[in-house]
Parts: sequence; C-alpha cells; structure tokens
Amino acid sequence: MPIEVTELSYSYKRGTPFEKKVLHEVSLRIKDGEFVGLIGPTQAGKTTLAQHFNALYTPQQGRIIVNGCDTTDKKADLISLRHDVGYVFQNPDYQLFAPTVGEDIAFGPKQQNLNSTEVESRVRKVMDQVGLDYNSFYKRDIFALSGGQKRRVAIAGVLACKPKTLILDDITAGLDPRGREEILKVIRKLHCEENITIIFISNSMDEVAELAERIIVIDRGRIAFNDSTRLVFKQSAQLKAIGLELPEVMTITDRLSSCGYSFPTTVLNLTEALQAISKNLAEGRVND
Amino acid sequence: MELTKNITLGVYLPGETAIHHMDPRTKIIATVILITLLLFVKSYEAYLVFLIFTAAVIIGAGIPLSYALCGLKPMLPVLVLMWVFQLFLYATPDAEVIFSLWILTATDSGLHMGNMITLRVIFLFTVTTILTLTTSIVSLTDGLEILLKPLQKIGLPSQELVMTMVIALRFVLILAEELDKILKAQMARGVAFDRGNFIQKTRKIFPVFLPLFINAFKRAEELIVAMESRSYSGGRGRTKMKTLRMGRVDMAAGGIMILFAALMVFLIVSIPSQI
Repeated sequence: MPIEVTELSYSYKRGTPFEKKVLHEVSLRIKDGEFVGLIGPTQAGKTTLAQHFNALYTPQQGRIIVNGCDTTDKKADLISLRHDVGYVFQNPDYQLFAPTVGEDIAFGPKQQNLNSTEVESRVRKVMDQVGLDYNSFYKRDIFALSGGQKRRVAIAGVLACKPKTLILDDITAGLDPRGREEILKVIRKLHCEENITIIFISNSMDEVAELAERIIVIDRGRIAFNDSTRLVFKQSAQLKAIGLELPEVMTITDRLSSCGYSFPTTVLNLTEALQAISKNLAEGRVND
Repeated sequence: MELTKNITLGVYLPGETAIHHMDPRTKIIATVILITLLLFVKSYEAYLVFLIFTAAVIIGAGIPLSYALCGLKPMLPVLVLMWVFQLFLYATPDAEVIFSLWILTATDSGLHMGNMITLRVIFLFTVTTILTLTTSIVSLTDGLEILLKPLQKIGLPSQELVMTMVIALRFVLILAEELDKILKAQMARGVAFDRGNFIQKTRKIFPVFLPLFINAFKRAEELIVAMESRSYSGGRGRTKMKTLRMGRVDMAAGGIMILFAALMVFLIVSIPSQI
C-alpha cells in the first residue's frame, strides 16, 4: 500500500473564528514494507496527518493516493481502504467498546462479513501474535485489563482486519518499561515476519531511533526533516531547536566523546554504543 | 471529520466588544427578557423586528454571522420535522385547505403555526448562543449565582445548582469531542455509519454509546476528585476574587432593552395574532 501525499493542507474548524491551519502543503511518500517514524512536538499535526492516510480526514487541499486510490474520490471504497490501513489510536479507551476481549477483536473482521470460523481463526491468530493467551483472555472483561493489556487488545483488534499498513499513534505512552518492551517486540515481529508497513508516531526518541528506518519530523504543520534515521539524528542542533531531544544513547555517547572516546557520527542503539565503547577500550584510547 | 465544528452552544468566543465587557447579570437578564418576549410573538412583523435586533447584537458582538448560525445545522432535521408536523396536524376550524396528500391535509393555519414555532426555536437557540458566545464560563457562573441567591432563602441550593448547570454546558463540547474520537476509532475498523437500512444504521449506534457513557462517567469522577482535592464544599461562605460591578455599558444596555421590550410589547398587542 504505497501512500503518496501531495501538497496536503488542512485547517481545523475551517470557516469558524477558531480556524487553525494544522498542515501546510505537506508532501511525502511511504513505500511498501517501510518502517517510518513520525515525530514532532505536541500539536505539530502528526495525528491529523496520519489520520489522512486512512481517510478519517479527507484533504481540504492537495491529494492523497493510497494504493492508487484517491481518498477525495466520492466513489472510493473507504471501508476496504481502512481495513488495509490499520490505525491504532493513542488512547485504547476510545477504541475498545465491546464487553469482552474476544468480541472486541472480532469486531473488525465481522464488519467484513466473514463467516464465524474465519473470524474465530483470525482472533486466535492475532491474540497469539500480540501475546495474549486465547483461553485465559478470550472471555475477559475489557475494563478489568491493565494499560498494557488494553494496548495489546487494541493492536489485536486492528490486526484482525489484516492490514497491510499499520499506523501506531503513540502506543507506548503511559506504559511501564516492561509493557513497553513487550509491545515493541510485537511491532518489530510484525514488521519483520509479516512485512507490514509501519508508520510509528512516537514522542520517545529512543524508540524511534531503535526501530525506524526513516524519520519524518513534523514541526508546526510542515515537514522539517524526511530522511534516514541516522541522517535525521545527525541534525541534533536543529532537532533541539524544534523542541525534540536526542535519543538517550546519543546524549551519553556525546558526553563520552568529550571525555576522549571516539564514536561513529550517530549511534542509534545500545548495541552500537557497546561495540564502539569496547572498540575504544581495546584500542587503549582511554584509561578506564 | 470534525463533529465539534458546528457546536456553538457552550463555546466562548473571546472578544473586546461592549457586549463582551458587559456585566454577566445584565446579559443574563436581557436574555431572559428576550426569551419571554419570544414566547408571546405571534406575527411575522414582530419576528422581523426581533430578527433585526438579534442581527444587530450578533454584529455588535463581533460574531461572524455564519458562525452564529452554524450551530443550527445539526438541529435542521428536528426543525424540519417540527414544521411538517405543524403543517399537517394543526388546523383551526375556519382554516383554508392548501393541499391534501392522502389522509393528510395542510391548512393555512397549520402553515403559519409551523412557521411561528420553527422561528421561535431558531431564535431561542440563537439568543442563548449569543449569551454563551460572549460570556466566559467563569463570569456566567458568577452572574447566575448572584441572580439566584435570593432563592437560597427558600432552601434552594442555588450555588450548587449553578455549578451543575455550568458543568453540563461545558460537557456538551467535551462529549462531542469524545464522540468524535470514538466514531473515528470505529470507522477505522470498518464501520460505515452511513450505509445500510434504518435498522442496520441504528444497530451501529449502540457500540458508540457504550464507551461514550463510560468515558463520561470517568470524566465526572475525575472532576469530583479534582474539586474535592481543592476542598470544594459547596457555596456556603465562599467569597469571590472578582466582584461584579455594573458600569455605563450596562446602563446603556438596560436602556436599549427597555426600549426594545416596549416596542415588542406594542407589536405583540397591536398586531392581531397570525396563527
């Protein structure tokens, strides 16, 4: 499902005194099988942009073509488009509405008018994918779940529609470190094994640095950067000016390099950092 | 998709006009007078005068005319339905038949009744919208509290009542925002709210209201905790940071209101009812 955005503009509450332009002539492309990080300060327009990808918003100006289908086209089949481009929302409380876990996950496939055995087998598969035990969770009450479990159910509910592209809107916010790690493991697996295109919106630079191949930085409704992860994080001064931070690993390597260590230009994850440090130690560049 | 765009009731539009700077009590009393007048208006001439006055107030308050009216958009189906009902079901004995449709007959008296009632609802809505658009929630609360204070003598908890009313007004917009999010979440999973027959469409509404109510209760609970953690214990003995004071603007507004009310009463009395 390649996504092509050309000169997209959007104003919130257009035609009222509260009108506010949130997207300014945004153009970008997302290819099949990519893992794209979408970052930017709060209110930058990340969510509004991403909700254009599955036609929850239709462009006021400009065009979006998702897999050859123009979302402004009146005859476009938005229902199947929304099944192909899955969207996991920021807050699972808005997304989960069925009384039990099983019913909620089955909601999407049921909209596709599949027979009950197919629905059942999809529910089983996606619950396994997100690491929820079928027998113990199927009949569980949604409102008795923990934050991390709710996120998994939310992801499972979207996966059950068999999306080819998955938009994840800040899904690790408010999770404890373990819950976060487990969710990220699920995402990584989906990308590697199922070859699902992932658009990952996040406020955590560490996560984006570790996962994304390419990063799109949005600042006040405009694209500030759109490049490979390594090249984007090289622009540390500009990122800080926008109000974004560097990944924690990079802050540490920056400090270490002022103590005499030498690092390759950008270090994106712990493994890279460890390699570089041990190389430094082996070469005897630093004393202790 | 934006649901909140057309909601104007309970929204405050900040501004620096004389109407914005008026004492909230003046505005509340004026609104009550206008509403009372509306209940007696029964002629097109009187409505025309009322329309001119309302339009002047909207322009004077710096509210874009289109914005003041866009709140009516979601109400349109109800208004049309009301008008149709009056048209066919209301008839005075001496009414003239305009046309007949199967077992339904439309009479001229029904037509006038439909027009009058629809106009009345539109104006009632517009007048209250002007009040909330030009008065911040804080001054609205302050004004209502003072106005309803005498009722405390007969045992009515006026302060609590006002607080409840104002919170309800605020929740209109909050609930619309939540509904917007829930609808989006379901559309994202393939619900087509605009497809299917009437029964199918109605069935799609239920899964929307479940999370809406649950979130509303959650919000209410959070609000209670927030109020209690700041030691809110009702109105008794509370003092105000800002005391309200009537000024020249209020005098002028009062004068204009008296003149307008007199004119309306004259019109209501002198022009025979057109229903």
